[in-house]
Amino acid sequence: MKLHEFVVRRLLLLIPVMIGVAILTFTISHLIPADAAAARCGDRCGLTVGYTEDGEPISAYQFNREQMGMDEPVTTQFRIYFEDLAVGDWGESSTYHRPVADVIKDAAPITLEMTFFALLIAYPLGITLGILSAVRQDRMFDHVSRFFAIAFVSLPIFWFAMVLQLLFAIGAPESGPGGYCEIVLGIEGGCFPIFGRHDPSLTYPEDGFASYFPAGGTGFHLIDSWFVTDQKLATLPADYGSNWLLFKDTLLHLALPSACLGIASSGALLRYMRASLLEVLHEDYVRTARAKGVSEFRVVVVHACRNALIPIVTILGFSIGGALSGAVLTETIFAFNGMGRVAVKSIQYIDLPVIMGVTIITAVIFLLSNLVVDIMYAIVDPRVRLE
Amino acid sequence: MRGWDEGKEDRKESLRRTLEALSQSRSDLSRSWRIYRRSLLAVMGLVMVMCVGTISYLADEIAVEHPYRNLQDDEWLWSIDYEPQRKEPFSEECDWHEQSITTNPNSPLFSETVVAESDNKVGDDGRYFKDTLSVVRLINLEDDKGYDLDITLISVDPNNSSILILSPELYGNTSLPGGKVWVLYEFDNEDMHVSWMPEGYQRCIFGTNHQGQDMFSKVLYGSRVSLQIGITVALLTVIIGTIVGSVSGYFGGRVDEIIMRICDVFFAIPGLILAMAVVSAIPEMTSLTMPIWLGVLFPILFLTVVFREYLTSTIAGDQIFDQVMSPLMRYRNVFLGIFCIFFFFVLWPDLFDISDSRDWRIATGIGVILILGMLALADKRFIEKANFDGAGDRLGNSLDWTNPWRYLTLRTVAIFVAAVALYEFSGSDGGEIVVIKDFDRLWKIQAALIVTGWPGYARLIRGQVLYVKEMTFVEAARSVGAPSGRIMFRHILPNAWAPLLVAFTLDIGGAILSASGLSFIGLGAKSGTAEWGILVSESRQWFPDDAFLMLFPGLAIAVTVLGFNLLGDGIRDVVDPKNRR
Repeated sequence: MKLHEFVVRRLLLLIPVMIGVAILTFTISHLIPADAAAARCGDRCGLTVGYTEDGEPISAYQFNREQMGMDEPVTTQFRIYFEDLAVGDWGESSTYHRPVADVIKDAAPITLEMTFFALLIAYPLGITLGILSAVRQDRMFDHVSRFFAIAFVSLPIFWFAMVLQLLFAIGAPESGPGGYCEIVLGIEGGCFPIFGRHDPSLTYPEDGFASYFPAGGTGFHLIDSWFVTDQKLATLPADYGSNWLLFKDTLLHLALPSACLGIASSGALLRYMRASLLEVLHEDYVRTARAKGVSEFRVVVVHACRNALIPIVTILGFSIGGALSGAVLTETIFAFNGMGRVAVKSIQYIDLPVIMGVTIITAVIFLLSNLVVDIMYAIVDPRVRLE
Repeated sequence: MRGWDEGKEDRKESLRRTLEALSQSRSDLSRSWRIYRRSLLAVMGLVMVMCVGTISYLADEIAVEHPYRNLQDDEWLWSIDYEPQRKEPFSEECDWHEQSITTNPNSPLFSETVVAESDNKVGDDGRYFKDTLSVVRLINLEDDKGYDLDITLISVDPNNSSILILSPELYGNTSLPGGKVWVLYEFDNEDMHVSWMPEGYQRCIFGTNHQGQDMFSKVLYGSRVSLQIGITVALLTVIIGTIVGSVSGYFGGRVDEIIMRICDVFFAIPGLILAMAVVSAIPEMTSLTMPIWLGVLFPILFLTVVFREYLTSTIAGDQIFDQVMSPLMRYRNVFLGIFCIFFFFVLWPDLFDISDSRDWRIATGIGVILILGMLALADKRFIEKANFDGAGDRLGNSLDWTNPWRYLTLRTVAIFVAAVALYEFSGSDGGEIVVIKDFDRLWKIQAALIVTGWPGYARLIRGQVLYVKEMTFVEAARSVGAPSGRIMFRHILPNAWAPLLVAFTLDIGGAILSASGLSFIGLGAKSGTAEWGILVSESRQWFPDDAFLMLFPGLAIAVTVLGFNLLGDGIRDVVDPKNRR
């Protein structure tokens, strides 16, 4: 099978799954006990908004029900729902009072940025430790690193995030634990900002929430920070008055949440890498390489690792899923308005369209990243294509 | 068709094999333990899990505060305590109390002797009450503005340590602002008189929270909630996943295709986000009820268990089962009696109260009689003794008594037919039995985790079944005509349990982690509950100033989950064929 055939086939396989996801979210939204029509009009449901042809008054509630098609048969509702999904009309949020697509468009880059950095931390960390642990199999280092691998998986992320804040983001307290940065490194107030995406001084004083970043940008502030115009930079506080300083500020704010997520997912990577490398180290070609007198370092890094890394590519999909799940908790702690926080908020206020939108979008992101992973796997290991 | 007596030899042989398998499994177990013991981490995990289990079991004994309340629902919040709020771990001030005393002689509240009392507490009946405290020593006296006064102005009654006596200088002093003073004293905290603490040692080990509740006790009681969630969720997901996965793997083809596509859909959404969406979709429920037909079915199923044991004992003969006969079997007549009494005096009148419909009543009556009749009819001894003009003989001979499972199947089918008939007749006119009153809020999390968790097991088991299915003994079973269900659950599954056990252990930890995460974002337990996730969530309000509030509950989650993960890892090593030597 050619590579492009493989890609097309995988893309086609996505379609039934996406339809399944739509059915699942539709089912969930129909099971929700709250009345979406009532949630939309709130305490003004009784107001008369018009009259029928017979002169009967139509209340706001009835109007909403009709407009949302809630009196239609379920199959018709699903058809409408699915058509709306397909054309990108996801309804309007009752908490944000904006179209759901807009809400998610603002939130998704934040989560993606965090996830990306988390994986950037997790992969080098997990793979390096995994290699070292496999090379020193059954020695002290191996036991300790395996213990930590399991421990990292076992940590509740929300708690771990708070511990990181305690250690690295706050000043030295009068008593009790915390303030590691100030105590050891002497950096006043901690090494990293405690929460938020930017320094609070980077918001417009008049409206309080809009930031200096251009509204029409990518949403990834690490990229956007390089495109802030000089005109705007001139109005910024001196500490943030250049593209580089803005970038640095964004990066510093990202450090703790990403580290938290990354360390949590590095545990699984370490174990997979160790297992994979151990398997490869028993292969004949490794023995051949050793017999030739190749140095142990070269055997491990050049001969064994290249093959051991192939299965690790598949773990990437799982890691992304884990990181997206974990983002819900880290975003809550670090006050990032990403998808996780949007989801939590929408569930608290039973904002159906947003709940469904977030679920579907995470599914899409997850599925697409899995697709990319599969394609990568097919490239590095052509045997996969033959199945 | 062979009669009962002809199968005797076969049964003897089957018994011998059973006993052999039993002794084999015993030696297997000790070998497994030897492999398990090799890994220090695994042993650590086992110890951790055992510790958490013991703590949750003995929480009543170890905890210094005994809430005597249902910890999981919001109806019975913990009382507002009188201990100082947000005190650090090992703080001496845990048994200090500050009380205001009216010093204005004209006030109606004034009295020369004041009883040392706690702040208002909420009793189990929902009313407020105050505890009388026994004062150990007086620490400080302040006026309403916070300026120190002479401590000697107030003294403790030498005869009754819970009565404070005001000196005339104090209440004669009209210049005191607000007409009251604040006295701080150390009291004898009776709650902390627990056997395992040193005598006179009254310190809150983990500090107190913003309501003055002892964090140590809360964390201890939290272990009950977490373990319960973890085990329930893991058990139910395993059961559902195993059934679905075996069916999918065994039948293959279109069934497999459909089930796996459904699993794909569940896998497409990251776990926690799907669980959140599902939690929001589950309606509030205060108590668990079940329809009446299910309530009738359960006792009947119990009866079948009794009969099955009876059957086993008749097959195996008396030589072994006399010694190891289960109590269920030994007292089967007692159980039957209790059941009959329960049925005719408790359930029966209820059955007739449920509906006024005459047809329904008749139908129920007939249904129940039918069930009991079938049970009696299918009993071999009854058949042998009763002689309906040879009908009993004919019926007895038509059954292959050498295969007890077929014999049971007949009965099972009869029961299910009866149950379905009962259900049909009972209709949906609201006849329900309350199983668990005051259902806690946490069940939503559990339900959501089960709904999202089963596809993982289904896929795991499917892979195993696909592998085992090709083995010769399955072929053999199929060739002698064993039914699919029997092959699936008695031939394939026992050979595919190893990864299941590992996944199950790891999943307990995973479920605890996810459940605490859901609680943390406010979807699970209500605030005030002794649940670890909600304890961390509450402590954020005082973070980072009072970091100890979040430290211990979080550490408890970490230790518990770590314990289960290490345990699962150890079991993985044991069941790994590479280690079987």
